[in-house]
Amino acid sequence: MSYTITEICTGCGACARICPAHAISGEKKKPHTINAELCIDCGACGRVCPKGGILNSIGNACKAVKRSEWPKPRIDNKTCMSCSICIDACPVGCLALSGASGKDPHGHPYLADEKRCIACGYCAVECPVAAIVMTDFQPEAAQASAPAAV
Amino acid sequence: MGKGYMGKILTVDLDTATWTEERLGDEIYEQYLAGQGLGAYILYNRIPAGADPLGPDNLLGFMAGLLTGTGSLFSGRWTVVGKSPLTGGWGDANCGGQFAPAIKRCGYDGIFFRGVSAKPVYLLIDHDTIEIRDASRLWGKDAVETEEILMEEHGNDARVATIGLSGENLSLISGICNDRGRIAARSGLGAVMGSKKLKAVVLKGCRRIPTGNPLEIKGISQKCNRWVRFDPPKWPGFLNAYLGTVVGLLPTQMAIDGFLYKVLNRIWGTGSMNQMSVGMGDSPIKNWKGTNVDWPFSKSKSVNSDVFTKCEVVKYHCYSCPLGCGGVCSLTGKYSETHKPEYETVLALGGLLMNEDVDSIFYLNEVLNRAGMDTISAGGTVAYAIECYENGILTREDTDGLELTWGNTEAIVALIEKMVKREGIGDILADGSKAAAKKIGKGSMAYAIQAGGQEPAMHDGRGDPGFALHYSVEPTPGRHTIGSQLYYEMFQLWKVVKGLPKIKPLYHKNEKYVADEAKALQAAACSKFMNVVNACGLCLFGVFLGIKRIPVFDWINAATGWSLTPNDYMDIGERIQTIKQAFNVKHGIEPRDYKLSDRALGLPPLAEGANKGRTVPIDKLRRDYWQCFDWDQETGKPTATALKRLGIQL
Repeated sequence: MSYTITEICTGCGACARICPAHAISGEKKKPHTINAELCIDCGACGRVCPKGGILNSIGNACKAVKRSEWPKPRIDNKTCMSCSICIDACPVGCLALSGASGKDPHGHPYLADEKRCIACGYCAVECPVAAIVMTDFQPEAAQASAPAAV
Repeated sequence: MGKGYMGKILTVDLDTATWTEERLGDEIYEQYLAGQGLGAYILYNRIPAGADPLGPDNLLGFMAGLLTGTGSLFSGRWTVVGKSPLTGGWGDANCGGQFAPAIKRCGYDGIFFRGVSAKPVYLLIDHDTIEIRDASRLWGKDAVETEEILMEEHGNDARVATIGLSGENLSLISGICNDRGRIAARSGLGAVMGSKKLKAVVLKGCRRIPTGNPLEIKGISQKCNRWVRFDPPKWPGFLNAYLGTVVGLLPTQMAIDGFLYKVLNRIWGTGSMNQMSVGMGDSPIKNWKGTNVDWPFSKSKSVNSDVFTKCEVVKYHCYSCPLGCGGVCSLTGKYSETHKPEYETVLALGGLLMNEDVDSIFYLNEVLNRAGMDTISAGGTVAYAIECYENGILTREDTDGLELTWGNTEAIVALIEKMVKREGIGDILADGSKAAAKKIGKGSMAYAIQAGGQEPAMHDGRGDPGFALHYSVEPTPGRHTIGSQLYYEMFQLWKVVKGLPKIKPLYHKNEKYVADEAKALQAAACSKFMNVVNACGLCLFGVFLGIKRIPVFDWINAATGWSLTPNDYMDIGERIQTIKQAFNVKHGIEPRDYKLSDRALGLPPLAEGANKGRTVPIDKLRRDYWQCFDWDQETGKPTATALKRLGIQL
């Protein structure tokens, strides 16, 4: 399954710029297309399309959301087993691994580059132990889960 | 519905700088899984008989495991496959880090290289684009420098596998590195990469990895995680050493539960065994002619497990690993940090050479990781050189002034640096002890402790004859990561696989040396099981926890949607083992020639120490093992019946 672009696309290019899988192509100001084989269903294109011109993989129209309102991953270090599956799952590489902290000799993932996060939630989806939840981004929450040493 | 594998491979022709994508049928995965198994199928069918391992006809494959990226734990090992220039036959090596899932994120189960490039190049896969780029500026740089440069250029989400100086110099004991010095070290496949003038493979991708039943996989992973993260209070490392000494003295032995090893591994990593193994008689000392009496407690304490965790900055986990046996250690001097030296490295550069200087072990660990040289073979080859020097076969003139005596740290460091650069005597030694003994002659082959050209690992078959058997019968000889009597105890396969012998909870050590039917069945089961494990990209340290706690077969069924039984999977393991052996026969290898050197088999037996008087009944063990696979009992070659039954074409 793949996301698709409808005929109302104006070719603004916002979707192509944010697509982490390089799946969207098209000339400027002309309708764009999504390569179904490359699309990873992350939904970033749907969240940025100003015209609502993108259908998700089950055919529903996506709605643009202000980037500041996109959910962000929140990581529970106690549940986290430091396996780095989330870091690999992230299609934009916005997670990184912290250093050891206090008595815990294991590093843990944290949102190292908030601006790159596309709110796809794959980190939470792929975490085998449900240590990550996607929440509305709150600066104080991010600070609380920030690593002691990087 | 997904099946855990991507269903595609990429083959890059370096002669023409072109590539082709190929879709593979499900039936191939059903017979060989992915990873090492798929690699064996492709290489057996596509490398012409007699191909030069360092020539254009050899294929070098970077393989991802079937379970890698599916949400199963311990599935972060990628495997490199090729015809080995070290043994002349089947070659593979696997490595952890973050590289394994990157292969699948780029859409492939394997990336193969054939041909030889005219100039140094690297392969870049950046999502939808594939490029072969010039690597002239990287040639001559070590593995860590190369990785740093390529990640600076391509982003921190790029995954890099590269060779260092040893691979470039076609050293036959070189491997392929990723993640700042982790190394797929064995079989000499770094030299194959060097021969192809392929400096690195850089992968950037974010494809999803479809599975049959992701929720079931997660459920199993959560249960496994509970076993791994059950941590008892830590105790001082010197107690491990005492435990080893006591075990070495006792006439009886308890069957080992892998949970104990998990606990040790989580606290100290493989280094937990450093001093313990010396006392137990598991570690070979002084080029396999010494014992724990030659390297007693007072000397082996230099490599106690606590020494290595003291400077550990953070634990290191490979992809999808909850255990974290690795670590990053801080250093002073030329290098500021290194991966925590593994047990194999510490003993190969420590007890095997009678070297008590732990700083030199840290330093050489980093030197060898950056150069991409196998620490086991490097240590084994230096031990060979020291014994040659001791017996007057090599003189100070030959060694460029180095006083090659046991435990002479300065000379050992200098010699290994020469081996990396192929300078002077280092040029002869850079291809391993057997190749060196052929050049040096004068009866020095007796001091080259090897199997089929590869130095055995730091587990003494005179203490556990299972190691000696696997060193001698595997298509990749000298390997410690496939089987032993200890591994069979820890795998606990008899709990799910029908027809396998159970292990008594307490037994006399003498029983280990009896070559009965059970020993052959156990060894064959280890080989079959580890082929499945390696085809899935799983880590040995995970499956040590036992098949009930780490239910590998259930994970595969959940990922693929198949409903095969454990015995069906063992049959797949048998097929992979047989095609690797058939690969060797196709390329002119006589399996009998892979027998471990006499000294390491207890011929003559040791006069003292934990393994005093022990000899491995290798000939009987080997015949029985071959019979378990329906291979010829005298030659070790797969019979036509076996090949036909397993669907392998002659």
